[in-house]
Amino acid sequence: MKKNLVLLIISLILFLSLSLSIAKDNIQTITITAWTIGPDRPSFYRRDNLVDAGRKLNSLLEKEGSNIRVKVEATFDTGTWADYKQKFILSASAGKAPDIILSGHEDVAPWGEAGYIIPLDDLIKKYKDTTDLKDIIPTLWKSVQYKEKTWAIPQDSEARPLYYRKDLLKKLGWTERQINDLPKKIQKGEFTIYDMLELAKTAQDKGIIAKGYGFWPRPRKGNDFYIYYYNFGGEMQDPKTGKLILVKDALRRYYQLFADTIFKYKTTPEKYIGMEWRIWHESVVAGKVLFWQGGTWHWAEWPQVYKADPDDMEKNVGYALVPPAENGKPGVTLTHPLAYMVTKNSKYPELAFRVIALAINPVFDARHAVTSAHLPVLTSTWKQSTYYKNKFLREVEYMLKFTTFIPNSPDFGTYDEIVFKGVSAVANGDVTPESAVDIVVRDLENALGDRVIIK
Amino acid sequence: MMLKIKDGGNPRPKKINWNLLFFLAPAIILIIIFFFVPVFLTFLMSFTNMSTATGLTGFKIIGFKNYLQILKSQWTLKILKNTLFYVFTTLSLFNVGTALFLAIFSTHISENAGKFVRTLWLLPRITPSVVYATLWTWFTAEAPYGVLNQFLSPLGISSRNWLMSTPWVFIILINGFVGASFGMLIFTSAIKNIPPDYIMAAQVDGASTFQTIRKVILPMIRWPILFVTTYQTLSLLTSFEYILLTTDGGPGFYTTEVWALYAYHNALSNYYGNTLFGFGAALSVFLVILGIIFSIIYLRVFNFRALISEPKIEV
Repeated sequence: MKKNLVLLIISLILFLSLSLSIAKDNIQTITITAWTIGPDRPSFYRRDNLVDAGRKLNSLLEKEGSNIRVKVEATFDTGTWADYKQKFILSASAGKAPDIILSGHEDVAPWGEAGYIIPLDDLIKKYKDTTDLKDIIPTLWKSVQYKEKTWAIPQDSEARPLYYRKDLLKKLGWTERQINDLPKKIQKGEFTIYDMLELAKTAQDKGIIAKGYGFWPRPRKGNDFYIYYYNFGGEMQDPKTGKLILVKDALRRYYQLFADTIFKYKTTPEKYIGMEWRIWHESVVAGKVLFWQGGTWHWAEWPQVYKADPDDMEKNVGYALVPPAENGKPGVTLTHPLAYMVTKNSKYPELAFRVIALAINPVFDARHAVTSAHLPVLTSTWKQSTYYKNKFLREVEYMLKFTTFIPNSPDFGTYDEIVFKGVSAVANGDVTPESAVDIVVRDLENALGDRVIIK
Repeated sequence: MMLKIKDGGNPRPKKINWNLLFFLAPAIILIIIFFFVPVFLTFLMSFTNMSTATGLTGFKIIGFKNYLQILKSQWTLKILKNTLFYVFTTLSLFNVGTALFLAIFSTHISENAGKFVRTLWLLPRITPSVVYATLWTWFTAEAPYGVLNQFLSPLGISSRNWLMSTPWVFIILINGFVGASFGMLIFTSAIKNIPPDYIMAAQVDGASTFQTIRKVILPMIRWPILFVTTYQTLSLLTSFEYILLTTDGGPGFYTTEVWALYAYHNALSNYYGNTLFGFGAALSVFLVILGIIFSIIYLRVFNFRALISEPKIEV
């Protein structure tokens, strides 16, 4: 009897372990590949959030009784945007793109047109209520829409403030109160961009800073230059036709600003555009520059990459909107939301989408925002303690009310190449702002024909 | 099929040499696949509006529109001038000029010193392109970062970004330091292969070193000079990596943009993700035509036929 019982138990154990192993064998693991980019190094959660979301999805799939599990293989690039996008375009053309690609919102237009990425409306509808996607800030949804379809899920946003050294302003005789009131004055339009240049010149004349260290805008190609174009009344896209717009007078005044800061006020060095980023960062971190315009994410980069002293930053670096062109108008900034997209090459687009949807949650959103000094995409993130305890993020959040975007248009790449060459030529002293505008208009008409509206 | 080959003025029929064709076939197939087919496809693509946005299927045939855009562009002439300036300045000053000087110099000093000079000039060639270009950008950067500014400031020369201030000077130097080593090696081996009898005979006749170089060495290395000149012209016409890595065609309106870089910028690289394959292909077709024109000119100038039919020395 005892012998039979032992045999029965052994048989049961064998049966159970066999059943379990069969069940285990039935589990199918699907690899979801993803490419992400900083290029700023502190933005690594763009990758890690996806990897961790893969684990969350596996728990959900287990609860749903599915035999599918996912393994997220994600990369994080710290090279240049141009190289990253080139790599994606070539791999997508060859049908070898990853399942998920992180990129700028403006890419939904060319990549959506090309069929490299897929519209996500149906999947959003299916999963919006059961995920945190419902909390995404409404204006951010607009940035990823093109031709009445939604092509991506916003991953983060940011602002591009004007930074300034409080200690240098003190040396100029500014009181603590005056310094602390500067962001409000800029917001109300009581301190213009030319007031800033005058002040920077005074600081140079008094020997508080070296010549050419008064105002440092972005030194290399990027979105920030359009802040000045918008500032002088520029428009970018016709909402009805989607055609790009160039306002000649706004462009001339934006170019004039660069000519003035370099050649008239001498508050920006000659041959400035093209400066190495490393030199730019090290100079501002060293406290040599009075005013400079960068991104919120630089706030995280300076201590993490360029060895800035966080206490010095806290005590001596202020931030505000970019001052307006005219008195009475509010300051300006620009936001360039990044977004996760699902590519056409994905064999499992729904699984890829679910990974993205789970990566967008308040905890992950907050940890990315705090680590990289970006702004969150979810309203629910504002309640996260890790987020609201961060003084810097709390204090720049208001800038989103004054923000602008670059347009979603497949022609924007061509437009930008031409317009950027204009500011580069003016800053280099090759042409006057007026001639640069004429050249840019001729180039735009030749390249885009009636796809651009010149005003 | 019969071929007629002239032989001393008496045409006589000859059968196809199948063995010859068999051995040439691999090379011919490779040339067809990797040269003629891409050129043909590029040519076809140049008549379309293919771009990232159209993808490889949604494009339209737009006739000569891309070519018209190139002809109408206010920059076409400037970029063409830049290309010719870049190719011929680098070629004459470094890829042939300095290379020839280094080859002659290093073969007229002691063997070990010659080897040392040649090794030194090979360093830029063996350094990875990105590292080499980055070293130059740091060398020319603003004070206190740039080494050049640290040397020049005691002389009273104000600090500046030299790469952006005098971009062509540095582009020629950056390319030239790499390019000179190729010609230097070819010319050195050619000079060393000249039978010493010729040099000795010249010396016995009382020729000075300069006369020996001019009257004996240079005529005897005409073939390697033709080869290096032609090869390096075509290389420089299509090379742009150091310009891309340093000035990226700037500053300003196409200041240092050369044709190959212009084609690359349009066809393969765009900051905002939409690259224009069709327009880039039309630009590439121009480059192919330019390359063919140069090849024909060189073959005529150097009398290529005479050079290959009457080899005087072995290199």
